[in-house]
Amino acid sequence: MTTAPLRPAGSIRRRLLVWLLLPLLGLVPLAAGLMYVMTVRPALDSLDRALTGTAVALSDLLVERQGQVSLALSAQTDKALRTDLYDRVYFAVAAPDARLLSGDAPLMTLRPPLQPREWKFFDAVLGGQAVRVAAFGAPCGGGAQSCPVLVAESLAKRRQAQSAVLAGAVLSLLPLALALVLLGAVAVGRGLLPLRRLGADIEHRSLANLQPVDTPGVPQEVAPLVLALNRLLGRLDAASAAQRAFVENAAHQLRTPLTVLRTESELALTDPHAATLPATLQRFHQGAERAARLANQLLALARAGSESPLAGARRVDLREVCIAAAEPWVKVHDIGFELQSVMVTGHELMLRELVANLLHNAGEYAGAAAAITVRTAWRDGHAVLEVEDDGPGIPSADRERIWGRFERGREARGSGSGLGLAIVRDIARAHGAEALLLEGRDGGLLVRVSFAAAAPG
Amino acid sequence: MHILLVEDDAPLAESTSNALRAQGWRVDHTARGEPVALSLQRDAYDLLILDIGLQGIDGFETLRRARAQGSRVPVLMLTARDAVEDRVRGLEAGADDYLVKPFALSELVARSRALVRRSEARLDDVLSLGRLRLDLRALRGFVDGQPLGLSPREFALLQYLMLKADKIVPREQLVAMVPDWGAATSGNAVDLQVSRLRGKVERAGLRIRTVRGLGYLLEEGDPA
Repeated sequence: MTTAPLRPAGSIRRRLLVWLLLPLLGLVPLAAGLMYVMTVRPALDSLDRALTGTAVALSDLLVERQGQVSLALSAQTDKALRTDLYDRVYFAVAAPDARLLSGDAPLMTLRPPLQPREWKFFDAVLGGQAVRVAAFGAPCGGGAQSCPVLVAESLAKRRQAQSAVLAGAVLSLLPLALALVLLGAVAVGRGLLPLRRLGADIEHRSLANLQPVDTPGVPQEVAPLVLALNRLLGRLDAASAAQRAFVENAAHQLRTPLTVLRTESELALTDPHAATLPATLQRFHQGAERAARLANQLLALARAGSESPLAGARRVDLREVCIAAAEPWVKVHDIGFELQSVMVTGHELMLRELVANLLHNAGEYAGAAAAITVRTAWRDGHAVLEVEDDGPGIPSADRERIWGRFERGREARGSGSGLGLAIVRDIARAHGAEALLLEGRDGGLLVRVSFAAAAPG
Repeated sequence: MHILLVEDDAPLAESTSNALRAQGWRVDHTARGEPVALSLQRDAYDLLILDIGLQGIDGFETLRRARAQGSRVPVLMLTARDAVEDRVRGLEAGADDYLVKPFALSELVARSRALVRRSEARLDDVLSLGRLRLDLRALRGFVDGQPLGLSPREFALLQYLMLKADKIVPREQLVAMVPDWGAATSGNAVDLQVSRLRGKVERAGLRIRTVRGLGYLLEEGDPA
């Protein structure tokens, strides 16, 4: 029996992974942004404080004499104030009436209105360059007025600080995100493991093992599925037991009357009787024999299909099986034996049935005068059983079809039911063996049953 | 030969009885297993043919009771079920052979004869098949009461073949069972002895069939 390939409607694993990992795609950048915003502010503030230092130093140089404000700035101080490793530094100091006392005139044009002692920070553009400006209203004119002191610098340090903070945020969150992805994948895999184990458990069951699936070890979420499955298995088991019982009963009911028929016809043939009777009796007897064989074959088929090959299997010598099965046939046909002692694991009676069917077939189709050879051997690590005849054989085109139940060769003679080879195949399969139809040495039929490799012994 | 047949299917019992009587044997029939043990004590039966599926106690139990009271009569069990356990159970309960229904009449007769022959050999030290009798104590053979000249090896071979009459006897078993083949312990020596023996037993209406590649089979019938 083959099952159609399953096309699953979505995978739980994919769904779980999508739900776990897609939000990460949004949440990780969001967290990085928040982290950046929260850490970049103090960094920039500290840079602003460095600017205020310069402004305070400049305001300390303001000198007031007779209402006149001037800036006592030496050339060296000017240079020192403007010296910076990374940025260009600008400054400008003006009197309360906006008269430039010292520094860069263009900077003073950016001057905001300032109360005494008031600080203002802002970004601006100076001579085509982006700058950060700190503006201080230095108290002058007796403290009632403010002398604007402006200090500006280009943004190199600020940009450095910003990228450092950004890198910090990204570098600390990236491993976290990667760890989450990895853990998510592992967790989903492990979470789904019981399902896979359950699948494997059920996969390895045969019709003969309809025991319920073990519930301990099955996660709570899967338990309803397992319980439903167990109920189904229970019903299947009951059905299969009922079928077996039916087969047994059919055997009993059918066999006893068939025995009567057979015995009576055989007995009648040995009695003295009218001259016209023998032909009729002969046909009657053949009919009884055929019905008896058919009943046996049907039961053998039902058994081969329902009996587990492992239950009750023993080590069996194929040689002994062949000898026992051939006993009734050596008196009827010319049978030769080439038997090696070959051990296989299986049911002795079923294997006997297999050989008996092959012998019956050979005798039936190759004719009464046919020479039949029964062979057992080890070949390439396989136990092999062969029955060969020197009859007409079966055309290769017919060989596949002939395995079917109630199928017979087109040229077939005899009175076979067409069940023999089906039984051979079913019993072989139940033993994990393969049955092949080949052409024999003399053009007859060669049936080879090749058993799965097992240790010779 | 006196046979007790235990079979609860009336038509089958009747036709089986008729078939066995046609062989010239005496047959008593009962449909139930309960009286069997007593019958075996009262009459000296040569063979018990026992169906497994009976009303009341079944064939296994019938056999167990018969054996428990010491009966050593050979028992042929009939079964409609060929399940392995049934056969094993039957043989373990003390049956000597079994037949699965639907059996051929000739098979029933042959098995019955073989069982009786074996038990006779056990009890009387006499083996018989067709018109041939082997006296196991005197180591001599007779056809219709006339002595048959047999060498010790031929006698040993014939004894073995008769115990296994109607069965295939592999050649190597024959080599193994005769202890004093001496230096010529080979298949060829056995073949030579068997072909000599073949001529002698023909007179008794027996034939030794050669099973190609395997061995021999002794049966009643005219040589082919």
